[in-house]
Amino acid sequence: MLRFLRLAALSGGLFLSASVMAVDIDPSSYGFPLTNPFEATIATTPPDLRAKVPEDADIDQDDYSLTLRPEREFTLPDNFWAVKKLRYRLAKQDHPAPLIFLIAGTGAPYNSTLNEYLKKLYYGAGYNVVQLSSPTSYDFMSAASRFATPGVTKEDAEDLYRVMQAVRAQQSKLQVTEYYLTGYSLGALDAAFVSKLDETRRSFNFKKVLLINPPVNLYTSITNLDKMVQTDVKGITNSTTFYELVLQKLTRYFREKGYIDLNDALLFDFQQSKQHLSNEQMAMLIGTSFRFSAADIAFTSDLINRRGLITPPKTPISEGTSLTPFLKRALQCDFDCYVTEQVIPMWRARTDGGSLLQLVDQVSLYALKDYLASSKKIAVMHNADDVILGPGDLGFLRKTFGDRLTVYPYGGHCGNMNYRVNSDAMLEFFRG
Amino acid sequence: MAKRLLLIAALLCAGAVHAADAPIVSQAAPVKRIDNPDGFTEPLKSLKFNPGLDAQEFERSSLNALNVYDPLESWNRRVYHFNYRFDEWVFLPVVNGYKYVTPSFVRTGVSNFFGNLGDVPNLLNSLLQFKGKRSMETTGRLIVNTTLGIAGLWDPATMMGLKKQSEDFGQTLGFYGVPAGPYLVLPILGPSNLRDTGGLVFDFTAESQINFLNVAQVSEDHPELYLLRAIDRRYTTSFRYGQMNSPFEYEKVRYVYTEARKLQVSE
Repeated sequence: MLRFLRLAALSGGLFLSASVMAVDIDPSSYGFPLTNPFEATIATTPPDLRAKVPEDADIDQDDYSLTLRPEREFTLPDNFWAVKKLRYRLAKQDHPAPLIFLIAGTGAPYNSTLNEYLKKLYYGAGYNVVQLSSPTSYDFMSAASRFATPGVTKEDAEDLYRVMQAVRAQQSKLQVTEYYLTGYSLGALDAAFVSKLDETRRSFNFKKVLLINPPVNLYTSITNLDKMVQTDVKGITNSTTFYELVLQKLTRYFREKGYIDLNDALLFDFQQSKQHLSNEQMAMLIGTSFRFSAADIAFTSDLINRRGLITPPKTPISEGTSLTPFLKRALQCDFDCYVTEQVIPMWRARTDGGSLLQLVDQVSLYALKDYLASSKKIAVMHNADDVILGPGDLGFLRKTFGDRLTVYPYGGHCGNMNYRVNSDAMLEFFRG
Repeated sequence: MAKRLLLIAALLCAGAVHAADAPIVSQAAPVKRIDNPDGFTEPLKSLKFNPGLDAQEFERSSLNALNVYDPLESWNRRVYHFNYRFDEWVFLPVVNGYKYVTPSFVRTGVSNFFGNLGDVPNLLNSLLQFKGKRSMETTGRLIVNTTLGIAGLWDPATMMGLKKQSEDFGQTLGFYGVPAGPYLVLPILGPSNLRDTGGLVFDFTAESQINFLNVAQVSEDHPELYLLRAIDRRYTTSFRYGQMNSPFEYEKVRYVYTEARKLQVSE
């Protein structure tokens, strides 16, 4: 009898937990105008549908710098002078207020467009805001990263945690009531690992954590991004490269228009014109931007660790030295090449071996499955048409997060963050 | 009659309202959404890829883009680092002080005033390139802003739909087929090339010769006007060193400058 009751309780529990379903936003009521994920990723929300946020002039903000790795002052070449200290930006309220940390996405600095937007949004809602660079960005790798080989998310999170603690020490006069954490894209994956780390270190006791468009399987994401420069683009010939093609289109567009006017609405107008980019061309453009990030990461990691894959270890580099030959080499290295040539060897040496699959398991959200499933303070916002996801990734999120996952039907990769519906939901999550 | 007029007015209004919230109809093909049980739509499935996934188009384009004629690269890079430091240690702190001590409407007035002066070389160069419409519009801007805008402190012309259209002598030279020449990084002024540097000198001389609103003459006795102009120029330029956050910022700025100038010349 007792056993039967237990069984009943168990099955009831299972039934209940299964009924906690992700929140799916209905496409017809969502109202986001860009149904094309590539367009959404590049152009983001049209200006008049964005959330109302304060102007820069109305925000009490400043850049600060931290010396976290003093030895890099001597080991890095002269032309790295600007990144020997880590910069961050703080927007201060004039009264005691909660503080939110923002972590930027792949290769992005603390002052990236999306981070700036999030700062304005949260500052306007009464938070102190600290903007941090991504562990994959050039300045973070040089000034704050212990191994300068980003990709092992747990290590990246430890670096980030140290930075956060240093920020708090430097801003000891700031009156903070409680701590919050958010990040977009790769920064969201970092935020999940930082939150996990905080459970044992207990420096901040983050009250709530929001992950926006995180990669689920990091390897799927980098494979997708690497693949995007392989689209079959019409108009590329022996004499016309991809960039020339895009520039020709821009030139013709401006000529038809009669004048050059760079503004927020330009991209939408351009896409409505005869010169618009096709899906393949847009994908190529997104892929190109990520390939440049990959090149920066591969070059910087190789140089700081003196691996000699791109820069010969003893090359003298001064402020006048041309870096073009190294850029040419770094450009040939995509994310996959960076992982196989630099991340895996370092990770193997430090952890006594292991396969690529094991690495992927350790650096993706899978590693935190139990923690994420049980930790009610963490929520996820994602898009059904995000280009960094693979089949099954949303399924993993649904199973793990239940009703703490919100899936938006459109938006591509981070293209709907500044849409007012999404922005309201972000604020609502932290308020509630 | 009145009824008909009313009807036309109503129709016009309806048209205006309709135009205001016209949906964004992109010309790109719609992306096919695939039905997955977990709701994922697989956007990459709708793309056409190179069958072997071994095309080197990214590499080809990028390596090609690195071919900018830059014989003075070593010198240029040093100047680039000098400018970077100057910006961090002198220019931006001064601009921040300027923002701190002046209310925003004063800064806008200053920008408009110097912008209006800048319309003189814009007009001159539009004329030199026989761009009739542009010359007319810039003349209109000058007249409206100098009179209604009180010596250019306000910019009513833009509100009337006369947009500012920059033309400098570098563009004029480019229009007549003068090649860009070697890439140059000028101290404090930033990226340029031999042709555009020549253009800069020409525009500066022309401005002091024309002596519009007596500013050039007054500036000789009051060099602080040059200083204010420099501060305003930095204040209105959004570029920040380090913003690209890349060890290869020099190469990227060089490419963007070169291509942007080509675009301006051809348009």
